[in-house]
Order: sequence, then structure tokens, then C-alpha cells
Amino acid sequence: MATKNSLAKSSRVDRVRPARRGRRRAGSSWGRLYGAERIAGYTFLVPTVVFFAIFVGWPILYAIGLSFTNWNGFGPASFTGSASYVRMFNDPVARRAFVVTILFALSTTVLQTVIPLVAAVLVNFVWKALSVVVRTILFIPAIVSFVVSGVLWKLIYDPNIGTLNQALHTIGLGQFAQPWLSNPSTVLPSILVVSLWGAFGLNMLIFFAGIQGVDPTLYEVAQVDGASRVQQFFYITIPGLRIITAIVIALNLMNGFKVFDIIFVMTGGGPSHASDVFGTYLYTLAFGSTSGSIPQLGYASAFSVVVMVLCGLAVLFQVTLARRANR
Amino acid sequence: MSGTLTTPQTTPRAAPPGARRRRRMPLGKSFVAFILVAICALTIFPLVWLILTSLREQNTIFNGPVLPKQITFQAYPRAWTATNFGLHFANSVWITTVTVLGVLVFSTLAGYSFAKLRFPFKNLIYVILLSTLMMPATALIIPLYLELKKLGLLNSQAGLILLYVSGSAPFAMFLMRAFFETLPDELVQAARIDGAGEFTIFWRVILPLARPGIAVVVIFQFLATWNEFLYANTILQNTGALPLQPVLYSLMGQYQTDWPMLTAGLTMSIVPVILVYVWMQRQFVAGLTLGAVKN
Repeated sequence: MATKNSLAKSSRVDRVRPARRGRRRAGSSWGRLYGAERIAGYTFLVPTVVFFAIFVGWPILYAIGLSFTNWNGFGPASFTGSASYVRMFNDPVARRAFVVTILFALSTTVLQTVIPLVAAVLVNFVWKALSVVVRTILFIPAIVSFVVSGVLWKLIYDPNIGTLNQALHTIGLGQFAQPWLSNPSTVLPSILVVSLWGAFGLNMLIFFAGIQGVDPTLYEVAQVDGASRVQQFFYITIPGLRIITAIVIALNLMNGFKVFDIIFVMTGGGPSHASDVFGTYLYTLAFGSTSGSIPQLGYASAFSVVVMVLCGLAVLFQVTLARRANR
Repeated sequence: MSGTLTTPQTTPRAAPPGARRRRRMPLGKSFVAFILVAICALTIFPLVWLILTSLREQNTIFNGPVLPKQITFQAYPRAWTATNFGLHFANSVWITTVTVLGVLVFSTLAGYSFAKLRFPFKNLIYVILLSTLMMPATALIIPLYLELKKLGLLNSQAGLILLYVSGSAPFAMFLMRAFFETLPDELVQAARIDGAGEFTIFWRVILPLARPGIAVVVIFQFLATWNEFLYANTILQNTGALPLQPVLYSLMGQYQTDWPMLTAGLTMSIVPVILVYVWMQRQFVAGLTLGAVKN
């Protein structure tokens, strides 16, 4: 199809060509080819751009628009300005969900950056054969879906017959056994463990790949100078991985801000909103899981917008950090 | 960790055979190896437990020892029929296959266009497509739900696939572009001088060379689509059309106490993923780490 287009439009293109950089000799044949190139360039983009516009671009604008209404899914929507945002500010559940979201994002980011980084250094330190096996095993949780890992860990955390409580009883620490997911003070740490379990392998591999890129002569020089392994870690490995670290931090932040599946599967936001984050709360508001209440699409969209902004900030953070590190 | 290294030998850090000869190294390495093996055991334990539980007899779940005395595969046929596993498995395979193919067509075309063709506003379009790369699914689920409803695509696999393809294409395009940029420009120019049309160049010259890049995109997309839950659970309401993930989720409520059956269902659902992982491990890891690092 590109060829057909190029024949039809080739005459128009000669006007454009001289404005482009002059590293090619001007000639009618090149002009025709360049026109074909331009048309092919756009034609090849059509499917991606059109579908993107319909199913990504427009919905973003739609969500922003909805957040300024009080639409409930039926009848006409009425414009209510910033009422949704004001309401969010005064809604104790929303405030709590905001705190939980931020807390969850920050703590997963710290755990899922520091532990994989240390693990990657250790994996790089041992014998190659072992390192391959370890990497293979640690990566397995990353390919399991959040539904499967959520259900699986829910069984492990089960208050009566769960493996965790049984194990605690067996080793004589029975007093620590408790309903992990229905106790408001243990529910978030319990979910954090599952999140770390899933993210550990991938983040470790990213760091591991990064370590392979650190100039090995730096370590040789450090050894000659008598630097310890720990000093090498802090003065060579960490500075050498700063771009990678920025990326991992930003990825973890974004995944933390947009967390949904794992909490939805394990607790549904409970007990009494203790583990509700923006994602689960807006889903309940819009698609009402329990009470059969009216879908509050306008109000829920305000949460969508906040999640978008948070993820946008994480991207910005990454871009600035990467740019600074590159300098 | 290993203590200080006083030997002023210059052994590259990642050269184990030579390092083994050094006096203090084996101990340090053994210690680190021990820690790593412990971490691996902890990591793999939940999955081993999952499989072991699925092999238990139902009445030994609550008080039996950790290792089941008797192994029974009873739970598997039960889980298969009770959940209509075959149907949902087929749905997952179908949805995943179409999505992967769609994403592949979109992303190779667009990625090639961005990597090798010159046209006005190229960078602007590229930045716009990539700017929403990290848009969370939860932020878009409400407008997408309403939009599909309006288009009459709600509750249809076609609608779900459309969402998957359009949402994933930009990222796959980004990977393909990075791959195409590693191919020399001369390939394209030589083909042009030979009089090949633009599509012919893409189809006959470039695409056959793009296999490694395509493998990465296929694996990444396969995994993402197979494991996707939020859209599938929201867009599809007709039970017969559901892929595996929402079905597994609803299992949890229905068979809360029948753990062998529950775990048998979960195990069956991850078998294809594990098989593909074992089979194409290298591309798998490359796909996921590349995906994470490149953006």
C-alpha cells in the first residue's frame, strides 16, 4: 500500500526535500524516494496512533472531564466543578486511602530497591554456576500473576489453618500467630511481603545486569589500594549503578502508586478500609463490589486523575534523575 | 561479607576460577552462597507449598504434616470439571494469541517507522505515544468501561482485546524501535536503490532480521496478557467468555475450604507460563529487564 501511495504523492514532495538536511545530492529520483519514505512513515504509524487515540488518549481526557461532574452512570451528567476534589478532601476513607497509597508506594520502593541491590551484588560475587541457578529461581515469582500469588499468599496467611500460623506454633512462637490479613495493623506489612516476593527477582536482575556494566578495572584498582568489599560496594558499585537505581526507584514508585490487583485479591481493601488504596477505593466506588450502591463515576474519576498525577510525578522524577546522572 | 582482601593480586571481580585459589575467598563465597540458597528456598517455598497442597487428600489439609504422606492427583480432575477449566484456558489462549499478534503487527510497523524512516513531526508523535506509557490501568478503567459500553463492545472478548492491543502497542513499539535502530541504515538504503517499495523493504528485508526483537515482544506481551486481571474482570461479565485470571479469583470465594482443588486450579493456570519460561528463559529475562530498563 505504501508503494501505491508513493506514486500518487511523489510530485508534491520535491518541494519539501530541499528544506531537509543536504547530505544527499539533490535529484529527482531521491525526491521520489523520500516522498515514499514520508508517506510510509505515516502509514506505518496509523494503526498504533489511531487505536492509541481511541483507547488511551481519549479516555484520559474523558476521566478528567468526568471528575468535574457527579455522574452516576445514568441520565445526564451535571457539571459540578471541583466538588469531587473537595469531597475527596473531606472523605475520611479517601484521606486514609491516600495515606495508605503513599505509604505503600514508599515502603515497597525502599524494600524493593535496597534488598534486590544487595542480593544482586551477592549473586555477582558467588560462582557462576550457582549464580545462574539463583537467578533462575529468584525470577520465578515475577512470572506468576497477582491473582495466583494473591490467592496463594492468602492461604498461607489464613488465620486458622494457614501455613504461617501453623509454622509459628510448631517452632514455639504461637503467641505471634494472628489473623494477618484481618488485623488492621498487620495487613499492610503482610501485603508488602507479597509485593516484595513478586518484585524481588526482576529488580535483582536489573541490578545484576547493571553490575555487569560497571568497569571491572575500577574494582581491580580498588583492590590494589586495599579497599574492602564493603567499601567497594559503597564507592564503586553504588555510584556505578546510579542511573539503574533511579530507574528501579521510579518503577517501584509507579507500581506502588498504581497497586490494585494484589490488594483487591487479598483483602479487597479491608478490614474496614485498612488496606484500601486509591486503586481499590475508586474501583469500589465505580463498580460497587458490596452494597449494590449507585456507581459514583464522577467522584471515582477524581481518584483516577490523582493516580495519573502521582504516576506522572514518578516519571518526572525518573527523567530528571536520569538526566542529572548522565551529566 | 568476605572481610578485607589484603592480597594485592589483580583478579577481575567476575573471574571465579582464579579467585578460588585465594586463601580467604572460598570461605566468603561459601558464606554468601549459603545466604543465597536460603533466600532461594524462601522464595520458592510458597510455590512448592502450592503444588504440595494440590496433591494432598482433602481431609489432611488441616492437620497433616507439611509433606503429604500420600500423594493424590484427585484434585486436578475435580478442579478441571468444576471450574470448566478447559473453556477458560482456551479463552486465555485465544485472547492472548490475538493480542500478541495484534501488538506485534502494530509495534513492528510503528517501531520500524520511528527507527528508519524520516518524516515531519516524528519526534512529537513519538513523545506523545510514550508519554502515557506508565498510565495505570486503574486510572483508565472507568472511561474505558463507558466507552466500550457506548461502542457495544462491553462484555465481548473483542472489546477486551482492543483495549489490550491499544494499551500495549506503544511500549512494544518502543522495544521494537530500539531493536531496529541496531540494524544498519545501509540495508534500507540499498534496498531502495534496488527499487524496492517501502513496505517491501519492511516486510522482506527488515522483518526477517528482527526475530530476536520480536521474541522479546512476544514473551513480554504473552506474560502481561495471560496475567492481566483488572480489565478482564471488569469488561467481561458473561462467565463463558472469561479468561483464567478472573475465574481463579472467583474460585477463592466458591471453594474457600477445598484447598487441594483451589491450589490445583492455580497450579494448572501457571503451567503454561512456567513452561514458556523454562523453554525461552533467556529471552524472557531479556524481555522483562529490557522492558524495565529501557524506559
